[in-house]
Amino acid sequence: MTEQNLVEVRGLKKWFPVQKGFIERLVTRQRQFVHAVDGVDFEIRCGEVFGLAGESGSGKTTTGRLILRLVEPTEGSITFDDVDLAALSDEEMRRMRQRMQAIFQDPFASMNPRMKCGDAIGHSLEIFDVAKGEEKRRQVLEMMKHVGLTPAYILYDKYPHQLSGGQRQRAVIARALMLHPDLIVADEPIAMADVSVRALLLELMLQLKQEFNLTYLFITHDLATAKYICDRIAIMYLGLICEVGTLEQVYRNPQHPYTQALLAAVPVPDPHARRTAPMPKGEIPSPITPPPGCRFHPRCPFAEQVCSQEPPLLRPVPGDEEHLVACHLV
Amino acid sequence: MSEPVLQIHNLSVDYPTHVGVVRAVDDVSLTVYRGEVLGLVGESGCGKSTLGMAILRLLRPPGKIAGGEIVFDEHNLLGLDDEAMRRLRGAHISMIFQDPMTCLNPLQRISDHVVETIRTHQPEVSEQEARRQATELIDRLGIMAERLDDYPHQLSGGMRQRIMIGLALALNADLIIADEPTTSLDVIVEAQFLDLLKDLQRRFNLTIVLITHNIGVIAELSDRVAVMYAGKLVELADVYPLFDDPLHPYTRGLLNSVPNISLTEDHLQIMSGSPPDLINPPPGCKFHPRCPRAMDRCRVEEPPVKEVQPGRWAACWLYE
Repeated sequence: MTEQNLVEVRGLKKWFPVQKGFIERLVTRQRQFVHAVDGVDFEIRCGEVFGLAGESGSGKTTTGRLILRLVEPTEGSITFDDVDLAALSDEEMRRMRQRMQAIFQDPFASMNPRMKCGDAIGHSLEIFDVAKGEEKRRQVLEMMKHVGLTPAYILYDKYPHQLSGGQRQRAVIARALMLHPDLIVADEPIAMADVSVRALLLELMLQLKQEFNLTYLFITHDLATAKYICDRIAIMYLGLICEVGTLEQVYRNPQHPYTQALLAAVPVPDPHARRTAPMPKGEIPSPITPPPGCRFHPRCPFAEQVCSQEPPLLRPVPGDEEHLVACHLV
Repeated sequence: MSEPVLQIHNLSVDYPTHVGVVRAVDDVSLTVYRGEVLGLVGESGCGKSTLGMAILRLLRPPGKIAGGEIVFDEHNLLGLDDEAMRRLRGAHISMIFQDPMTCLNPLQRISDHVVETIRTHQPEVSEQEARRQATELIDRLGIMAERLDDYPHQLSGGMRQRIMIGLALALNADLIIADEPTTSLDVIVEAQFLDLLKDLQRRFNLTIVLITHNIGVIAELSDRVAVMYAGKLVELADVYPLFDDPLHPYTRGLLNSVPNISLTEDHLQIMSGSPPDLINPPPGCKFHPRCPRAMDRCRVEEPPVKEVQPGRWAACWLYE
């Protein structure tokens, strides 16, 4: 593979301390941590859509925030375009963020309710001294047309609450693109949208990717949606990646029992294809005290003794260098 | 077909706002038969949740029922006084909501919830007997009996949702209205919950109105499906013909725009436009501005719900 990596993540960890009461702290003296991200390695290649999928509590969102350095890692490194982000000063990091932008799930929460839509979209131009006044307005209007926020000159002066959900999410996308970033971290960007709007937003994101030469980190819990946008995908469980590969490899030939269960669990919109596969018992355990060995072993129908003793490493599936899986039984 | 449990005739619900009246449910007629799962599907704002709340007369003011009839057990619910309605809720018609955390009292143990539910409606049942029933119930839900004395926050999201269905079953309600029961759950937990619901439904011949935007969940569980758009019922049919050959262009568009993990195609079909503003709905068929097959008539005249084929109803001029 000669493709260049835009982002390289190595041994990334984020532990959040558990808040305790004063008395409890005196009594136990033991500090506990939520192992939100507990040692993940992956790379995002230039121009691809890299999916990060998992259930709530798997650490996918924290991983996205770590890449943007919105939270500081406990351990590990993140390299963006060959620059080690941890080595950057706050000011250098701030400038670096021109090249990495975020789209979040709730477009209502991520837009200032007192700021006109157009001003919000163009705010970053002012912050980074790229353009202001008439020039800013011109650039914003042009971007609004690109993302389908039309008639742009009318919507420019609307406040977020005057826009529909789909329009708000388009505004958030437009805002993320204003500085022509290289990487977009999209955290559940369409989860709030209605079914008929979702397809439109996905199509828009793919079209903009071509136009602006973007690379996406697409974070989602919805494997059915991920199928339509991702090139490669990593499945996370309890702070670790359990399987990563191309969409084809992971969806058509899932190796990890967790990936298999996750794929089987997605309800299919076809009554002829009702699910018959049994589901793993129980729910995702607490990330404060993750199970030893393979984190999935207490729920895994195939677990053997070794699974409860040794954590499996992420290794290539025999005969398939690009497809990695962390399971003793493969 | 078996006997009807619930019959809704020409029901309309209005929400007066300062800019005009929103007709959230517009002249909807539906029958729910004993032992069936009726899926009620549509996008946000189509009126499906409002319809569910209207059945239990739990509409939040200023929402009000503007017309129609809801017949349950030979009574028109709209004619009952508040006390009779209160006795009916929970005992005869139960509801499961989307977010179990906000529906369970954080200061009450799970056992208190169940015991209170039973004894409110059946005061003759002793505390002990109610507790015994609660233990039996929780076992049926696949939750260990020792969790009975836990508080809601000690349970996982999936368990809390199981408790909600348990509360709905506690009094053997004739009808369960489940409003987005799996939307707050992760996909594996959702699948577990659907398995449980399917199993209970079969064992106890439950009658369920399943309200959801998730078409996969509808396909998984429903016997019949009602599709709503902009407050209107646009199509009603058995689940198989509805998915195999949808009649209404909206149903067709909706089904085509749903991501399907089991197919190999990598493009979603796109439905243009978005649902109308219900303060100023378009004249004629409310779907006509987005409809690929709209005709002149659709723009002026509203199509009635018609039985197009036996057991298949649609509101569309294409089937005139």
